[in-house]
Amino acid sequence: MENEKNRPIPLKDDNYTHNINRSNERSLDRRSFMKTMVGAAGLFAASTLPWGALAAKELMSSSSKSYPTQKIANLSDIKPGDAIEFNYPGEHDSALFVYVKEKEYKAYQNACTHLRCPVFWDRDEKELLCPCHHGKFDIATGKPLAGPPRRPLPEIVLQEKDGAVYAVGVKRYEEQL
Amino acid sequence: MKSSYRGVILLALILFASIVCTQYTVNMYFAQRYMEVLLLSGATVVLFPLAWMVLRKDQRDRREQGK
Repeated sequence: MENEKNRPIPLKDDNYTHNINRSNERSLDRRSFMKTMVGAAGLFAASTLPWGALAAKELMSSSSKSYPTQKIANLSDIKPGDAIEFNYPGEHDSALFVYVKEKEYKAYQNACTHLRCPVFWDRDEKELLCPCHHGKFDIATGKPLAGPPRRPLPEIVLQEKDGAVYAVGVKRYEEQL
Repeated sequence: MKSSYRGVILLALILFASIVCTQYTVNMYFAQRYMEVLLLSGATVVLFPLAWMVLRKDQRDRREQGK
């Protein structure tokens, strides 16, 4: 057994982890705690400013918002149950067209409203499925059926003309809720 | 209630309101309800000076009490 007198550091002080309370370095006093709370409130205030700015920009430009007309597919080229990915309204806005059954088709922007993962058409279950966290959406309305998403997928307005389907706009959320 | 707890509880409530408003700001933006976004982000911004005033008042009160 090791002799207590020969130890360079006394046994009661020989540790690396239990000296936090002794040196008082981790204690958070009342004033620091309150300052931290005020700082956090400031951080939240600053973090909402960009959202406010984006919203103001949208409000100012919403009256002049117009959508292009874009051909998606010829109905003769696709079969019921098929799905086609396309980009609408911008080239970086991914969207999904689903030919549900004869005379019935729907299109949604296919970024999951939880964390924007791409949404796929589950032909067997007849649901839109987000594989990231198993979020599911109703094909008829775009509303969430399961998983973490709480908002519906934005629906794309479709128009049939001369045997082809065209995308002509995106519905606002208020129209869907 | 002891006066020394008043500031802490008030600040906790303000911080809670800030968190809720921030969460709703983001939600309302994606729900395209932009007027609500402006109101909520304005509320979050107003809550910060309020928190600051609560802290200052608390410090002043404690100084007067000699703590």
